[in-house]
Parts: sequence; structure tokens; C-alpha cells
Amino acid sequence: MLLFSAAPLSAHPHVFAEARLDVVVQEDRIAALRHLWRFDEVFTSTVLIEFDTNSDLKLDESELQAVATTVHESLAEFNYFQLVTRNGSDVPMSAPEALIADIQDDQLIILFESKPETAMTLSGKTAIGVYDPTFYTAIDFVEDSMMAVDNLPESCKSLVVRPDPDEAIAQNQQSLTQAFYDTTDQNDLSKIFATRLELTC
Amino acid sequence: MLISKRAARLSVLISIVSLAIWPATAYAQSSLGIGAGEATVPSTGLFAGMLAWVNGLQQEFYRSLTGALKAMREDPAKLWLLVGLSFAYGIFHAAGPGHGKAVISSYMLANEVALKRGIVLSFLSSLLQGLTAITVMGLVFLVFRGTSVSMGDAAKTLEVASYGLIAGFGALLLWRKLKPALVAPAIATAIPAGHAAGGAGHHPHDHGHDGDGDVCATCGHAHAPDPTDLGGSEFDWRTAWAAIAAVGIRPCSGALIVLTFAFLNQLWLGGIASVFAMSIGTAITVSVLASLAVTAKSVAMRLSGQGKLGRSVHSGIEITGALLVFLIGLVLLSASLSG
Repeated sequence: MLLFSAAPLSAHPHVFAEARLDVVVQEDRIAALRHLWRFDEVFTSTVLIEFDTNSDLKLDESELQAVATTVHESLAEFNYFQLVTRNGSDVPMSAPEALIADIQDDQLIILFESKPETAMTLSGKTAIGVYDPTFYTAIDFVEDSMMAVDNLPESCKSLVVRPDPDEAIAQNQQSLTQAFYDTTDQNDLSKIFATRLELTC
Repeated sequence: MLISKRAARLSVLISIVSLAIWPATAYAQSSLGIGAGEATVPSTGLFAGMLAWVNGLQQEFYRSLTGALKAMREDPAKLWLLVGLSFAYGIFHAAGPGHGKAVISSYMLANEVALKRGIVLSFLSSLLQGLTAITVMGLVFLVFRGTSVSMGDAAKTLEVASYGLIAGFGALLLWRKLKPALVAPAIATAIPAGHAAGGAGHHPHDHGHDGDGDVCATCGHAHAPDPTDLGGSEFDWRTAWAAIAAVGIRPCSGALIVLTFAFLNQLWLGGIASVFAMSIGTAITVSVLASLAVTAKSVAMRLSGQGKLGRSVHSGIEITGALLVFLIGLVLLSASLSG
């Protein structure tokens, strides 16, 4: 068991993104999730080299569009790094129509907005986690204020939860059996480590 | 023949067990679909705890490295900080799962390679890796930028080539080790019965493996090392270069990423110095691990003595080494092609 416990901790990404999440609430419903990710400069330089079609060492509008399209397509497979649950069950999110890529201060910025597939009223416990299930990107909400809610009803409480890997494993000890590791892929494993915003109404 | 059959069977077993606990890594498929990053696939297995520690250190180093690169952009005197960090990164990077040390160590197990030469092999293969990274990045930056050839494509192609070469090289080594065993029976029947019986273990001839190359290669003993693979003056640089090239044409992704950032910020000297510092760090770790493999082999040889057991152990270790190179190549190649 010890050996298995150590396993998820050995996954260390080398691409870093500072993230911000804005939850837009309208009429006690979650209308949209707005994501902003600011990638580290070194990773940004590798993106620049890859997409600099006209070799001017800058990414102009059409090149940034190409970046946005590629990321948009890739993220589709990973539910745009989101995990939304209400009272424990998954809430399906529709794919964002588009994604915006930009470079500011040598850092790649990705912006997009996603909406729940069906109307999502705020009742009970809603949790929104943002994470890369492949462990490729470290999505980091530097401060709790980076997960914000617009128009949160007064009766609701919001809390940013940052699972401690060891505690997360301890809490999930029962489900983290040998069979779990045998039958589960990384996606299910990584979500217990994701930073999440919990709204209790 | 009996001896080598048993040895061969043992070798297969050891190799399979070793591979099972040895995690395979391949050029990671990015979930973002863009750029290059170094993702470490979560590993389970016997060494997961140790690897987690090593990976944690690597991540720390990576963050410090990018910090040092940025600092150097403002203040060129920070080059030394960068070189120092790169060196340490190299040392720790090589301690994680990787192909270089596994191939070099196995190659040294498969052959009578003197320690000193093993260290030279480690350094040459690591330096070639650094050189490949600089060449690839130079080409991508100066020639292929913005074309359909991306750094990822170049790295992937070289990776597949490297793993293919390792598998091919392993197959060649294996053939060399097994050939005497396969050819032996034909010769054994041709020589007088008394001599053949002697071959079963009571042969008085001393096969001192001290490297002076006086082994009778025509006796037909299954364990007789191929003279071209012996230590001493007949050390075969051709197979050694094959090992170096097979390992060295795959650039380490960490080096490629550092170079991209350095070249983009016109820190030419800094980028190149950093990569060579990484190479030297890597070479030190690979040397240490390869030396451990060789020392373990000679201890095993000394404990098992010069008799029947000794010869069994000797050919067993050598076949295991060759088989490992072959299997490592195959596993990496299939992981790389499917990834």
C-alpha cells in the first residue's frame, strides 16, 4: 500500500500556469465559468517557436489564433480541465465556443468561458475543480481570491479547498484499493488532488 | 551447452523482472496540444517512492533553472548560477527513470568493459546528448521555425531512432553472446570425446578474465567471451560507438526547453553552457550507476569462482546484459510509437 500511495505524488508537471476562475451567478444559477491561465515564460517560449510562422519572433493575431484553435481541440478530450459536481454527481459542461490566446509580458494567456449544459441552480453543495488530468500542466490558484464568485447569494458560503496529497489519500483510503488502481486511469486519480471551489447553499 | 541453457533461462527471468520494475518513459503527449514541457508520467512499482523524491527534486530544479535563465537575461553574471543549477539538474535528472544509464550499464554487464572505459562511455554518450540538443534546437530555431517541423516532431523522430537503434544494438549483442552457445554443439561433436567431457566443467584450462586476450576462442566453450569484446587492447570501439550513438541521439527534453528559452532571449552562450553542464552532471550519475553494475558483476564473479558455477554466472550476467539492452529498446520503442 505504501508503494501505491507514493505513486500519484511522483507525477510532477513541468508546465506551470497561474490560474483565475470567475464563477458568474445569475438569478441563483451558475451562468458561466470564466477561466484565465497564465503560463510560465519558459513554456511560452517553446510555444512561440512552434507557432511563429513568419519567423519574426512574435506571435501575431493569426498565429495566436492557431495556438487557440490547437489548445481548444486538445482540451476537448479533457473536459477543458474542469470537474464540476453538484451534491456529488458530475455536472456536464458544454464545450466553450472559442478560446482566446494572447501573450503578455512573455507569458502565454489562455481565456475561455464554459457553461453548464442544462440550467444549474445553486442548491446543496457545488464543487468546481480545475486540473490537468494528465499531470502535464500544474494549474495553480496562487491565492484563494483567484477563485471568485460574482453575485453569490448571501445564503451561500464559498470555500477554496486545497487537498493535501497525503490527507487526500488517507480520506480516500477505502476507495483506493488495488482494484481501484487496476481499473482506473489517471483522470479519476488526479481529481482528488485538484484545487476546488466549494459553494454551499 | 547445459550451462549456457541454464544461464540463458536465468537471464530471461532476470531481464523480465528488471523490466517489470523499471518504468518506461516516452516523449509525453501534451494535454494542451502545444509547446514542449516535460511531463513525468505517474509511476507505480517498487521504486515509486524513490522516483517520487527524485521527481520532486527535478521539479524544484526546473523552477530554479527557469528562474536563473530569467535572472541571466537581466544580469549576465548570473551565468554561473545557471551553470551550477544545470549541473545539479543533470545529476538528478539522470537518477530518474531514463534510457541512458540503463543501456550503458547493461552494455557494460554484457561486455568486459574496464571501469575507466565505462566512465568514458558514459561521458561520451551524455556529451553527445547535449550536442544533439544544441543541434536540434539550432536547426529548429534557425531553419525550421514556424514550418511544419516542430521541436516536438524533431525530438520524437530522434527518440524513435534512438530506441530503434538500442533495440537493434541489443539484438546484435545478444546474437554475439548466444552464438557461441548455439554454434558450440556442432564443434563439440567434432572434437574428441575426452575433450568434450572436459568442457563440461573439469577442464583444467584457466580462463582468466584478466583481459590479456589469451582465451582460446576455438575450444568451443559456450562461455568463451568474444575476443573482440574483451577488455585490454582489443576493446571494440565499434560496438562502443554504437552504444554511445544509440543513447546520444535522443536529446533530453529538459535541455531542449532550456535552449528554446535561451535562444529566444539571445542568451546563446548561456544556453549552450547550461546544456553542457547538464551533460556533465548526467555523465557523472550514469558513470556511478554503470560502475555499480560492473562492480556487482565482478563481486558475483569472485564469489562464484572459476568453476562451473562461475562460468554459468559469467555467461548468465553477460546474456542478461545483452537481453536487457534489447528489451529496453523494444519497450521504449513500442511506448514511443504508441504514445
